[in-house]
Amino acid sequence: MAGLIQLGRWLSKRAENILALMLGAMFFAFIIQIVFRYVLQLPTGWAHEVSAILWVWIVLFGAAFVLRDRDDVRLDVVYSAVGNNARRVMTVITALAIVVLLATALPAIIDYILFMKVEKTAYLKIRYDYVYSIFIVFAVVTVIRYIWRAGVAVWGREEQEETK
Amino acid sequence: MELLTDPFFLCIAAILVLAVLGLPIGLSMIGGSILYLLLNGLDMGIVAEQFLNRMYANYIILAVPLFILAAEFMNIGSLSDKLLVWCNAVVGRFRGGLALVNVLQSIVFAGMSGSAIADAAGTGKMVHSLMTRDGKYPNSFAAALTASSAVIGPIIPPSIPMVLYALVSDASIGYLFMGGIIPGVIMGLSLALIIFYKAKKHNFPVEAPVPLRQLPKITWHSLPALMMPVVLLFFIYSGITTPTEAAAVAAAYALVVSIVLYRSISWRSFYSSLVVSSKTTVSIGMLIAGALVLNYVVTVENIPASLSAVLTEWNLDAVMFLIFVNVVLLLLGCVLEGTAIILIIIPVLVPSAAALGIDLVHFGVVAVVNVMIGLITPPYGMLLFVMQTVSGAKLKDIVSDTLPFLAVLLGALMLFTFVPETVLWLPRLFGYQG
Repeated sequence: MAGLIQLGRWLSKRAENILALMLGAMFFAFIIQIVFRYVLQLPTGWAHEVSAILWVWIVLFGAAFVLRDRDDVRLDVVYSAVGNNARRVMTVITALAIVVLLATALPAIIDYILFMKVEKTAYLKIRYDYVYSIFIVFAVVTVIRYIWRAGVAVWGREEQEETK
Repeated sequence: MELLTDPFFLCIAAILVLAVLGLPIGLSMIGGSILYLLLNGLDMGIVAEQFLNRMYANYIILAVPLFILAAEFMNIGSLSDKLLVWCNAVVGRFRGGLALVNVLQSIVFAGMSGSAIADAAGTGKMVHSLMTRDGKYPNSFAAALTASSAVIGPIIPPSIPMVLYALVSDASIGYLFMGGIIPGVIMGLSLALIIFYKAKKHNFPVEAPVPLRQLPKITWHSLPALMMPVVLLFFIYSGITTPTEAAAVAAAYALVVSIVLYRSISWRSFYSSLVVSSKTTVSIGMLIAGALVLNYVVTVENIPASLSAVLTEWNLDAVMFLIFVNVVLLLLGCVLEGTAIILIIIPVLVPSAAALGIDLVHFGVVAVVNVMIGLITPPYGMLLFVMQTVSGAKLKDIVSDTLPFLAVLLGALMLFTFVPETVLWLPRLFGYQG
């Protein structure tokens, strides 16, 4: 178990590396875009496309693997006002709700994304099902994460950090 | 009873319940939208379609991560420190000097982070600790002032809330930025009036005046930092770049200035600024995406048109409508975070505003000012809570010290609402046809 948690920490650090790298790459793509268009007068549609794809990936990859609850935008008036047991109950309710909803929608989501294989991006000709596949990853990981959270809320020790 | 089986009602109820119970707001909106599609027997793949297509195709939103990055580069590159020194040299000499520095820094930094919460928790925190060191100013007064002056940040460009408004209204981001400048300065001046009054009454301390002879030198040193908003606006208005690309230029500018002129960035701090910015980007990105998905539901339900019809029935004219909006947004500011209000509520109001002949740049600036003031409106204001955490003062005291500032800011809001020229004069000077 301890080994598993250690592995989880290591993976979480690497996920953070990747996320930071993607943001850096997106920033860089913009700079290239500007230099190419206004200085070198070269076409830049591809750089524009790279930054848009990276934006979608940053948000979904980050939401799936990097963001912790405390980093997220939440209404915590009630949550921070109640005691530990109430918090556990709230966590279980919200976790189960989002797990059920996302899991119900998952087949339709996968259908939609697989269907997008018929289209390709305008410049780089990447199939849209590849570009959009990160949404499936996000949905699946979010379901697993919230099952885990519900489990921790029911059986876990107090203040156990969310690992993974 | 019909209400309880209405899918739209259940969707909104689910979002509210999930959010209040502590689920991230973006995820709550995605969950509620799935519920709506499920109950209506619609294809649930629409959630993915709306999320992905709209995030992918809305070029303007890319300015959000770039502004976040720019603000982070400013902080690690000590541009923020340089600006603070300059502010102190300019207004520190007057009675209540540090309080004035607090306001002035909100106006010049506004320039940077584009987020009121980030302003208060970041640079605001710095000024707050300067003000309370050695008991110069009462803790709760310093906290109240920092919260109130942070309201100005997102009014003056660059501003993430304005970018989001442009996204939902299709108003020009460039003219919105321009439209915020005069209102931002007016708000700063009205806060300064209160400070002058209080400084006299309570005999607030004066800072050791920086000799005027040194002012040119200090200005010269902080000039690169001071020039940042100018560079940004120049790139937007000259048409050299799109507004989104101008955000990238701003970030690059901050980075280059920090490396070349101030030599204050290491690889490590560069990397950590990427990590911090990417996390903020993800949390705002999920909020934006959730709102975009929910907007689909709102559009299917034809809510904006229904609201427009109701307002026509009430015979509301433009002025009454704006007052109505002012009140609604201030009340919403008590329960919702600013970004969420702009993304979810404003799109519902925009068609009505347009139908009543209200200029959408004017409406946007008024709405953003409104939402930002909502952040310090008691009993529940996000900025008040941030400053409570930062200062450790009692919320009750912060609230009572905030009231005079709140009063003048509301006065300024009324001015912008009823005198559209306060907002539109500058954009028109630069060719805005509205």
